[in-house]
Amino acid sequence: MNETVILETKGLTKAFGGLIALDKVNLSIESGKITAVIGPNGAGKTTLFNLIAGVYPVSSGQIYFQGGPLNNVPAHKRASMGIVRTFQHVYLFGNMTVLENVMSGRHPRSSYGFLEAALRLPKASREEEAIFLNAVKYLNLVGLGTHAEHDALSLPLGQQKLLAIARAMATEPRLILLDEPGAGLNTLEKRQLSDLIRNIREMGISVILVEHDMPLVMGLAEWVIVLDSGQKIAEGTAAQVQKDPKVIAAYLGEEVE
Amino acid sequence: MSADQFVQYLVSGVTQGSIYALIGLGFTIIYAVTKIINFAQGEFVMLGGMLSFTLAHSAGLPLAPALIISVLVAALVGAVMYVLAIRPAKSASVVSLIIITIGAAIFIRGLAGVLWGVDSVRPPVFTGSGSISFLGAFIHPQALWIIGTTVVVTIILHLFLSYTMVGKALKACAINPVASSLVGINPRTMALIAFVLAAAVGGIGGVVMAPLTLTSYNVGIMLGLKGFVAAAIGGFKSPLAAVFGGLLLGIVESLAVAANWGPFTSAYKDAIALIVLMLILLVRSGKLAEEERAG
Amino acid sequence: MLGGLKSKWAYLAIAALLVLLILIPFDWFLGRYTTLMIFIGIYTIVTVGLCLLMGYTGQVSLGQAAFFGIGAYISAILSKTYGVNPWLAMFIAAVMTGAFAYIIGYPIFRLKGNYLAMATLGLGLIMWILFRELSQFTGGPDGMSGIPYLSIGGFVFNTSFRKYFLVWFFCLAVLLISQNIVRSRAGRALRAIHGSEAASESVGINVDQFKVKILTLSAVYASVAGSLFVHHLRFVSPQLFDFLASVKLVVMAVIGGLASVWGAIFGAGATRILSDEILLRFGQWDIVIYGLILMLVMIFMPEGLFVKLKEVFERLRLRYRQRGTEP
Repeated sequence: MNETVILETKGLTKAFGGLIALDKVNLSIESGKITAVIGPNGAGKTTLFNLIAGVYPVSSGQIYFQGGPLNNVPAHKRASMGIVRTFQHVYLFGNMTVLENVMSGRHPRSSYGFLEAALRLPKASREEEAIFLNAVKYLNLVGLGTHAEHDALSLPLGQQKLLAIARAMATEPRLILLDEPGAGLNTLEKRQLSDLIRNIREMGISVILVEHDMPLVMGLAEWVIVLDSGQKIAEGTAAQVQKDPKVIAAYLGEEVE
Repeated sequence: MSADQFVQYLVSGVTQGSIYALIGLGFTIIYAVTKIINFAQGEFVMLGGMLSFTLAHSAGLPLAPALIISVLVAALVGAVMYVLAIRPAKSASVVSLIIITIGAAIFIRGLAGVLWGVDSVRPPVFTGSGSISFLGAFIHPQALWIIGTTVVVTIILHLFLSYTMVGKALKACAINPVASSLVGINPRTMALIAFVLAAAVGGIGGVVMAPLTLTSYNVGIMLGLKGFVAAAIGGFKSPLAAVFGGLLLGIVESLAVAANWGPFTSAYKDAIALIVLMLILLVRSGKLAEEERAG
Repeated sequence: MLGGLKSKWAYLAIAALLVLLILIPFDWFLGRYTTLMIFIGIYTIVTVGLCLLMGYTGQVSLGQAAFFGIGAYISAILSKTYGVNPWLAMFIAAVMTGAFAYIIGYPIFRLKGNYLAMATLGLGLIMWILFRELSQFTGGPDGMSGIPYLSIGGFVFNTSFRKYFLVWFFCLAVLLISQNIVRSRAGRALRAIHGSEAASESVGINVDQFKVKILTLSAVYASVAGSLFVHHLRFVSPQLFDFLASVKLVVMAVIGGLASVWGAIFGAGATRILSDEILLRFGQWDIVIYGLILMLVMIFMPEGLFVKLKEVFERLRLRYRQRGTEP
């Protein structure tokens, strides 16, 4: 197994009843790079993310993460393995502050439980301090440090998305899946987002990005995979993919943003 | 157990089952149209019985008007419950709605307890008191009324849902509320009708059952639970399936007591419905898990 | 132990509460309410568990009285029939009730919404029937009496005064433990689950396991309360754990605020005082009032009454402070 490949899928298939969302997809995601997955609506991009994240089981095929099989690993174990994802609809923890959201992201990197918490054992206080400091660090990484005590839902959408990324980063992933991070953002926010994603890549973390915003994708991605109707129809650099006639055909009739 | 005894237990099972069927119908109607489980369904049954007692026995009204008024009042309570407790809750969560209908249930039960006290009452039977002999068993005329009423109500309901404008609108709303509202069917009106209908059916169950089985202010809970089991067997979707579920439950209950296996003395009779409930829920949770695994 | 509270007002409130609690059982103060307060303390313990369970899993338990009853009956049977030390009996009861909750937890939480509610209702009723019918152990519908008091060495908790402090010791311990849990990593995980189960899983929170754990915690609390209950009343019977009992617990939780810890005292207290007062003046109307409360609170303030009151208080406080800083 190639050490520069962080995620690999072989014959990955997902069917919902009679509908085949992903059809024998083979992917090889290089480590330390920003890879984009694009395609018209209904291409299977979110399904792919959900399978990698473990939201539902694979119908057939294999997923390998860092060489090891991922198929039957429960969703909640994947964060401690190093896989984290963000959601298109953000899904912040609305009943917490901004900082607490990021602190929740430290869950897989901490361990004290009910008993230590109930009795306020030293292990609990020690870990709590570490959780706090780390959370502040990641909050500052996305530039939201001054909003730490605000209610999470009081932030405008652009900042909510940054918060979601901070929460995901707090899990200290090797691989982060960003599901349409640019949706609903204005130009300035998209530029900040690009900078952040490049920053993340500089930290040695692999990024897979699902996006509809072509300029954003083309500016960021070092490798682009194109899906259509559940199948991989092209992959290559941004420049290569843009000129690929199959890709253009797939997008014909689609609104180009 | 002799053949005669078997038939006797079967008859008793079908009779009880018919009552459960009617209650199950009520659950199904409301759930199908509004996706709400109405924990107060059993109280409509209780009201039917209690009211018929007051009107027919205490107030001395002739039977037919007493029964009709009882059912109408039950239907009215259903309407009031929808308008005052359900509709204002707008987009409340499932849990909130559950608590609200429970609140309504004990509110109605509490009022009944205040108005009628805690004693059991028995309204007069519809027709004569002798027992009729049937296949070696004795069947009380009121039991025939119960079974007959259930059959009639089921048929009328089926015709109503399939052939009248309102009925078809209800079905449409049950199948796809968004699409129905787009073609001009008002979901709130449909919900109101569903509640009124379910309350009426419950009330009918109450008036027809009380002369045979005694009733009091707190019968609603157990009856409601058993009606829920009936509707659950039917998957909450089809009125016919709910009727089947009710009959099945009634027969199983009766035969379990008859067979006298282990702990199933009549004291445990109620537990049978609970066990059936747990089995259904177990199966259902198993199905959910399977769905997740198979995708 | 108390560290990390939000404002100095909270510290003040808790200090005032403690002083009040210590003084209540004295005859020259509010001594005549001692027995009432014993019950409030016991029910607060159950209510805290229920508030956390309902608040953080977003589900309703219509059978919480079952756990209360299991704890009560195990304590009663072990200490009276088998002469086991009441403290040991209480511990065993808590362990058994907790284990029971843990075992049924995973299958139960596979259900959602209405089905889950029905399952809890069913379980509650099954336990009630068992309490009634397993008469060789439980004494049947008439229950059991003559249950011994709790004691430490020669010191027997046999007066209202002593039982009051015993109960409130446990009650405050439960409240503090719950407070500590809520403000911890586990509490954050629970709040995260309440906020978004999908996002929780994505940051490594084992949603199912947490739900089962909080169910278990609520069962252990209820069991301890049940044990204290029987060592206070020296009597137990199935009527105490019927469906209406579970409904009353839901009323307490709803008034106290789902997901609220200290609100539980308010919920248990308000409900108990209300029910006693109403029973006194209006006889059978207590059930009607419970129904009314459930409907009104869930329609207009689904987070719970106490939580809503806190919000109103906070808003008033902010407005007051603003006015104070204006030139």
